[in-house]
Amino acid sequence: MKNFYLDVHALHTVPPSNVNRDDTGSPKTAMYGGVRRARVSSQAWKRAIRKDFSDYLDSSRLGTRTKRLVDMVAKHIQEISPELSDRAAELAIAAVQAGGFKVEVPKAKDETATAKPARTEYLLFVSNIQARRLAEVALEAEKNGADLDKKLVKAVLQSDQSVDVSLFGRMIANSTDLNVDASVQVAHAISVHAVESEFDYFTAVDDESGDGEPGAGMIGTVEFNSSTLYRYATLNLGGLLKNLGDPGATVEAAVSFVRSFVESMPTGKQNTFANKTLPDGVVVTLRERMPVNLVGAFEEAVTAEDGKGRLRVAAERLARYSAELDAGFGGAATTTFVVAPTSAVEALSQLGRGVSFPDLIEALESELPAYVRGE
Amino acid sequence: MAVLKLRLAGPLQAWGGSSRFVNRHTREEPTKSGVLGLLAAAQGRRRSEPVEDLVGLKFGVRVDQPGRLLRDFQVARSLDGRESMPLSYRYYLSDAVFLAVVEGPDAVIEGLNDSVLDPVYPLYLGRRSCVPAGRISLGVEGVSLDTALRMEPWQAAVWHQKKQAARTVSLEIFRDALEPGEAGETVRDVPLDFSPENRSYTWRTVVRPKPHEVPNPFGKEQSHDPMAELGGS
Repeated sequence: MKNFYLDVHALHTVPPSNVNRDDTGSPKTAMYGGVRRARVSSQAWKRAIRKDFSDYLDSSRLGTRTKRLVDMVAKHIQEISPELSDRAAELAIAAVQAGGFKVEVPKAKDETATAKPARTEYLLFVSNIQARRLAEVALEAEKNGADLDKKLVKAVLQSDQSVDVSLFGRMIANSTDLNVDASVQVAHAISVHAVESEFDYFTAVDDESGDGEPGAGMIGTVEFNSSTLYRYATLNLGGLLKNLGDPGATVEAAVSFVRSFVESMPTGKQNTFANKTLPDGVVVTLRERMPVNLVGAFEEAVTAEDGKGRLRVAAERLARYSAELDAGFGGAATTTFVVAPTSAVEALSQLGRGVSFPDLIEALESELPAYVRGE
Repeated sequence: MAVLKLRLAGPLQAWGGSSRFVNRHTREEPTKSGVLGLLAAAQGRRRSEPVEDLVGLKFGVRVDQPGRLLRDFQVARSLDGRESMPLSYRYYLSDAVFLAVVEGPDAVIEGLNDSVLDPVYPLYLGRRSCVPAGRISLGVEGVSLDTALRMEPWQAAVWHQKKQAARTVSLEIFRDALEPGEAGETVRDVPLDFSPENRSYTWRTVVRPKPHEVPNPFGKEQSHDPMAELGGS
């Protein structure tokens, strides 16, 4: 089968904000092209994408990263066979242990409402369907009076992967046969221009302090910056199909990824800065050969020039750089869609077929099946 | 024999030596295991598949733009925020550019180049979020490892070249020992098995030959010459 890659590029302006911060509270940064850039880590944005999925995908299509798999399985056991409610926890623990996971069971005497739930050693990324199937397998064994079939339990955890597990992968250190290779690669978002952190000095007034008590109840600083980010991710369609095993589910997962990549925003200090914006422009390319990250267009930091804002300059740079790379190396994209709703990013339009964002989703739904089939 | 030349550049790279778990370090130059892993991924090998044939390739890197160390602090939580994982510190090299070269039989090298141009798995510079900028392959050539490391033009960005005042710039080279007994640093950097349950490495000798000197088009005549004051030249 040929390799097909779906690349998503976005120029995304974020107002003063602190979307993703380090352990000192400063917005994350990185050096590129010799100057400091704003940075939002890939991990932060992948989490935002996963959260966005839950806004429109049915929970049966999604996974959860949890230490409380036992609880999830027990709940399903209770739903399917209410008469076994008393033994649900016990059956669920056996099923999870049969999957090869250590379970820390709370001490028997601690049977208060605040008793700690049974937990696995580490966070497991499992799909909700898998939890349901584990419950079914546990009940089946119970009904037949048989021991749990470990192979069957593992098989459950290897099939019915959720959209998010199939995209972002799963790594289980001591059960490597249950690992799922991520099919998506998300780069750290970096600003196309140089940034300096700014500090907001604030004072908070104590509403209840009287006239005789002048001064603030609290003072402090909040660090922030504002940036136009270049965001990039690539999706390996063959790898995604391998994880999901079904062409229809593969197209659905790929389209969901593009949709949530565009519409999501990490929530760091969102209430302070209300920085939820949408990308200014999005380019989606489908390539038969290697994926191409266009971050090199911004190695020389963008500055506003001759009355052109930096977003306009960035869009022009991105379009020119992409065309130059294709001319120099060949292997141009087979299909390129461009969402360029404002005049500031009109330069992107020369890269491919202009569409609105809803049309992009529709176009991907109709065109991706052929790619997934490897045609 | 032929060589495959790779330009490893991007905002971030991370070439882990031995560290795992919560403190993930990076070496200052690409590791052999990291680059062989990239090539194996390009060919579509899974981590559990053998890489013995790749281990036999000769490997060297040239530091064209050293970059800067970046410390990244990471928090991991379950989606509902109830469960928290240990905090981790990940180190990256930002803004670096390397020339990496592998040498081997013609057919193998040609095959690797095809794979890099048409990779089965997406490629990354040591860590999955470190996506390479632009294209990686600088092509195949019928020369030796040593020659390739000294023939290829300086890959540094123009801004970096402008920052170097000297008219000649020295680029550090780290390469496999090519003859038995060649002196160098011994590092545990040859992958025997990439599979997570048996991940293991063996040793190789890394030689640092005389750095490669390149002319710097933006270099300036050195006007300050303290030796002249002392009667030197």
